[in-house]
Amino acid sequence: MKDLPVRVFRFNPGIDEQPHYQHYLVRVREGARVLHVLHAVHDEHDPTLSYRYCCGSGQCGSCAVRVNGEPVLACTEEAREGMTIDPLDLPVRKDLIVDMEPYLAAISSLEPGGEFRMPTLEEVEAIKPLRSCIECLACVSACPALKVIEFAGPTAMREDMRLSLDPRDSRDRVTEAVSDGLFTCTSCQACWKVCPKDIEIPGKAIEKLRALANRKGLTLPRHQSVEKLVRETGRSVDRTETTFLEQIPEVLEPYGEVKGTVGFFVGCMYNMRLPQTALDAMEVLRRNGIRVVIPKEQVCCGSPLIRTGQIEFLQTLQRRNIEAFVHRGIDTVVTMCAGCGSTLKNDYDCPFRVMDINEILLRYEIEPPARLTVKATYHDPCHLLRGQGIRTQPRELLSRVVDLVEMPSVCCGSGGGVRSGVPEEAAALGENRRKEIEKTGADIVISSCPFCEYHIQEHTDRPVKNITTVLLEGYREKDRKMAPKDWA
Amino acid sequence: MRSDDVQTAHVLVIGSGGAGVRAAIEASEYGETLLVSKTLAGKGGCTTMAEGGYNAVLREQDSCEIHFEDTMKGGAWLNDPALVRILVDEAPERVRDLLRWGAVFDVTDSCEVAQRPFGGQRFPRTCYAGDRTGHEMMMTLIDRLHSTDVRVVNEVAVVSLLKDDDRVNGAVGIDRNGDLSVFLADSTVLATGGGTKIYDISTNSSSGTGDGYALGYQAGAELVDMEQVQFHPTGAVFPYDARGRLVTEAVRGEGGVLKNAAGERFMERYDPERMELSTRDVVARAIATEILEGRGTRNGGVFLDVTHLPRTQIETRLPVMLEQFLQFGVDIREEAMEVAPTAHHIMGGLRITAHGETTVPGLYACGEVAGGVHGANRLGGNALADTQVFGKRAGESAGKAGKRTNIADPGQVEAIRKWFDTFAEGDVSPATVVRSLQTAMWEGAGIFRNAADLEKTLGIIDHLGTLRMKAATPMNFVECCIARHMLVHASLVVRGALLRKESRGAHVRRDITQAWDGQTSPYGHTYQSLTRQGIEMGVKP
Repeated sequence: MKDLPVRVFRFNPGIDEQPHYQHYLVRVREGARVLHVLHAVHDEHDPTLSYRYCCGSGQCGSCAVRVNGEPVLACTEEAREGMTIDPLDLPVRKDLIVDMEPYLAAISSLEPGGEFRMPTLEEVEAIKPLRSCIECLACVSACPALKVIEFAGPTAMREDMRLSLDPRDSRDRVTEAVSDGLFTCTSCQACWKVCPKDIEIPGKAIEKLRALANRKGLTLPRHQSVEKLVRETGRSVDRTETTFLEQIPEVLEPYGEVKGTVGFFVGCMYNMRLPQTALDAMEVLRRNGIRVVIPKEQVCCGSPLIRTGQIEFLQTLQRRNIEAFVHRGIDTVVTMCAGCGSTLKNDYDCPFRVMDINEILLRYEIEPPARLTVKATYHDPCHLLRGQGIRTQPRELLSRVVDLVEMPSVCCGSGGGVRSGVPEEAAALGENRRKEIEKTGADIVISSCPFCEYHIQEHTDRPVKNITTVLLEGYREKDRKMAPKDWA
Repeated sequence: MRSDDVQTAHVLVIGSGGAGVRAAIEASEYGETLLVSKTLAGKGGCTTMAEGGYNAVLREQDSCEIHFEDTMKGGAWLNDPALVRILVDEAPERVRDLLRWGAVFDVTDSCEVAQRPFGGQRFPRTCYAGDRTGHEMMMTLIDRLHSTDVRVVNEVAVVSLLKDDDRVNGAVGIDRNGDLSVFLADSTVLATGGGTKIYDISTNSSSGTGDGYALGYQAGAELVDMEQVQFHPTGAVFPYDARGRLVTEAVRGEGGVLKNAAGERFMERYDPERMELSTRDVVARAIATEILEGRGTRNGGVFLDVTHLPRTQIETRLPVMLEQFLQFGVDIREEAMEVAPTAHHIMGGLRITAHGETTVPGLYACGEVAGGVHGANRLGGNALADTQVFGKRAGESAGKAGKRTNIADPGQVEAIRKWFDTFAEGDVSPATVVRSLQTAMWEGAGIFRNAADLEKTLGIIDHLGTLRMKAATPMNFVECCIARHMLVHASLVVRGALLRKESRGAHVRRDITQAWDGQTSPYGHTYQSLTRQGIEMGVKP
C-alpha cells in the first residue's frame, strides 16, 4: 500500500459558483489505476465525488478523464503521485462527469440498404482499424478544431470512414462528412495521440475521406488551386521574392573541420516565404561542421496534397525528391519544416534517413551559443511533436540560449489546409495561441515550423522566431563579446 | 408523490446490454418502447466486455443437434431442454440479424463468418470479431437502436418494479441526483444482466450487481438455480486492483496452454481428452486445486502461455489481451500470463417460458437475468447467443401483449420514498456493506462449498441486511439501493446452494458424496420465490 497525494476537479453546477480543486491523500495498492484512486476518494474520504465508470478494463469508454491535462481512461492509466484529475474538456454535469450524449449522438449509424452483401476479407481488414473505438470521447476532448468551429469531431469522422468502407451501408458518408466539418481538421493528430485504442484518425479517416471527397469534386476551391500550383510549378506557394534555392550554391562547406555531410530539404515555405530563416539555419549547420548538399531540383514534399486528399500527383513528387538525394549519394536528409519532415518520415518510403534539424543539431556536439537575456516561450509544431515525436530536443537546444517558459501544446490552426480553406477557424486558433503566449509573459515566441511561425506572427505582437535563428543570434552575441575591442 | 416525471410506454425494457437492446429493438415493432439504463446505453453491462465469441451453427458439417448436446452436457443436464433447443435453433438467424445491421465479424477467404473452437464443443462454432466480439455486437445493436423510435433514458437505476395486483405495470427509477422517475408500461422486460459483483473477484462491470434478480424476486417472480455461479477459469491476478479481469477463453481456443508453477501441463490430470478446452467448471476447479495444493505461482495463479504461437496470431486474434497485459507490463508474446478463477456468470435466474414470460404477469426476462438456458455450467460463446435469441423473443412477446390502463400505485411509490428517508439516518456506508459482502461470498460461497460455510455466509448476509446504510447526500441513494439489491441477490445464491445437496456443474458441495452424475441426478431446478422454495425431484424429460 502507498499514500498518494492527488488533486481532483470538483464542480456542482447547480450549487457551486466556480469549479475548484480538492486535495486528497489516498491509500492505494501498488499498480493502482486512476480509477482506483477515485474509488478510494469516494469510499474513504468523500462520497459526494461523482465520476463515471463501468467495465474497469478499457472496453466500455465510460471513464475517460484528464490526468495532468492529457485525456486517459481512468481504468487503465496508472495512478501517479501528485496528479491532477480533471474532467474531459466537455460540458461538466458534476465533478468528473461530462455530458457525453450529444457527442455520442453525432456519431453516424449504419443504415442497411436494400440488397445485403457480406463484406469481403479485404473490406473487413480495412474496416477493423477503425472499429475498435470505444467512444470514450478522449479525442473530442483533445480536438482543437471543434472548440472554435462547428465540427462533429474526430470519432464521428472515423465512423463516417468506416461506413464508407462497408458495402452494407446505404448512405453517402463522404458528402455527410464534408457537411459535418471534414475540412475543419487541422491534421494536428491530437486525437490519435490521446486515443486509448491508438486509432490513427487523421491518416486513416480524415485524409482518406478527403481523398474520397476529392473524387466527388468536393475538394475546397482554395485547396484545388494549391494542387494546380504544385502540378504546374512543383511548389505549393507562388514566387514573390528571390527564393532560398536561388541564393545558395548546391554545396555549402562548413567553417572549419568537416564533421559530417547531410542533404537539405528546404520545403516550399522556407524556400519562398521565409528564405532568410532557412539561410540562418544554414549558418548554424556550417558553424557546427556540417556540410550541406542542397539539390536544386527538389520540389514540394506533397504534404499540402496529402492533407487535403488530392493524392493523384503525389507519386511524381515523391519520385523526384527521392531521386534528387539518391542521385547525390546522400544517406541523411535534414528537414527544418515540421510538415515536410513528418511527410518524408511517414508518407514516403525513403532509401535514406530523414532527420529534423533539431535532431541533427543535438546529434553533433554543437558549439554552445552565448545566452541571450530574453524570456521566450516555445510553440510545439503539431507535425514535429506528434508527427515526429520531437519534444525534448528543441527544448534542450533552447535552454542553452534563452530563458524558456512553457505553454500548453495546442495546434495554432495553420495545418491541414485550414489556413487557406477555413480561414476563420485558423484565425480563431491563432487567437487562442496569442492568449496563451500573453499568459507566459514571454518576450519572443520560438517555433520550428514555417507554417506555425508565419501564422502565429499574424496573431501576436511578440516576434516569432525559428529555433535556428535564435541559435544564430546566440552565436552572434558570442562573437560580439569575444571580438577584440580595437576602437577602445 | 410529486406528479413530475411519469413516463408511459407500451413496453418498458430495463437494461441496455445485448439482451436489453435486442429486446427493445424487437418490441419497438409493436408499440412505444422505453429503455431505461443504469449506465449510458451501450456502455454498461457485460456484453460490451465479452471477448471470445458467439456460438452458432453455420456450417454443413456442424448441426444444431450437436450444439444442443454440447450445451446440455456442458450444463450437466440441468438446462431446460426446450430453452436450449430454441437457443441452438435460433442463434444462427440472430447472428445474421447482426450481420445485416452492420456487425463486423471476422470472415474467411470465402466471405463466410469465421469460427473458432471453444471449450466443451465438438465443432469450432464460435463466431468472433477478434477478441472484442461483444463490443462489436453492442456497437451494432446501438446503431440499430438509433434507427428505431425507442426512447432511451440513460443513467437511471431501477429500484423497484411497480405492481397492479398480481401484475407488473412499470418500475420506479432513481437518477444521480436522487430524483425518482416512474415508468408505466403494459409489459416490462427485465434485461439487467448478471451479478457476480457480489464476489470479491469478478469479471463483471460495475453494473453486474444482480439488480434484476432482486427486482424480480421482490416482485414475486420465481428464480431457478441461483446457486449456479460460473467461475471463469482465467482471470487476471495482478495488479491487485485489476484482479479478476477476464482473460478470454479465446486464449485457450487459439492454443494457449495452462501450466502450474512447476511447469506441468496439469490439465492432463483433470481432463486428458479435452485438456485446456474442457468445460469452464472443470478447468476452473483444476486451476483452483493446483493453487490450493501449493502448485500455484507467487501471485496466486497458474500460467497461461501463448508464447509458442506465432506473434501475428496473437496480434490479430487477441489484440485486446495483448493491449491489456502490456498496460501492466506483461508482453504475452514473450512471457506467460498469470491467471486464476474469477466469478463470471450467473447461470440461474428468473424462470422463463420459451416466450420470455416470467411467473409474474406483465414481467418478461431475457439474457443473464433469466435462468434455465445454461443449466449448471454455461459454454463459452453461448451467452452472447442467448442475449440475441431470448432478447428478441422477450421483446416480441412483450410487444405483442395487450394494451392496458396503467396507474402507479401511490402507496408503492411512497414506500420507496420512506425507504430513502431511512438512508438519511443510517450510519454505515454502502461501500463498506458491499466490501463485506464480497469477501464473505468469496470465502463462503465460492468454487468449493459446504453447508457450514454457506450457513455462515447466509448469517453474514442477513446481518449486513440489518445495518442501516447511510447516504451522504441524495446522490448516494442509488448506491444504497444497489447494495440492497446485491444483498438480496447474494442471499438467493447462498440459499440455492444450500437447497442443492449435490455437486452439479459449477456447484460443488464438498460436504456431500453422491452416487450420480449430472445425467443421472434425481434433482432438477432449485426454485425460490417470496412464497416457496425447494428443489425439483425427478423431472427428467
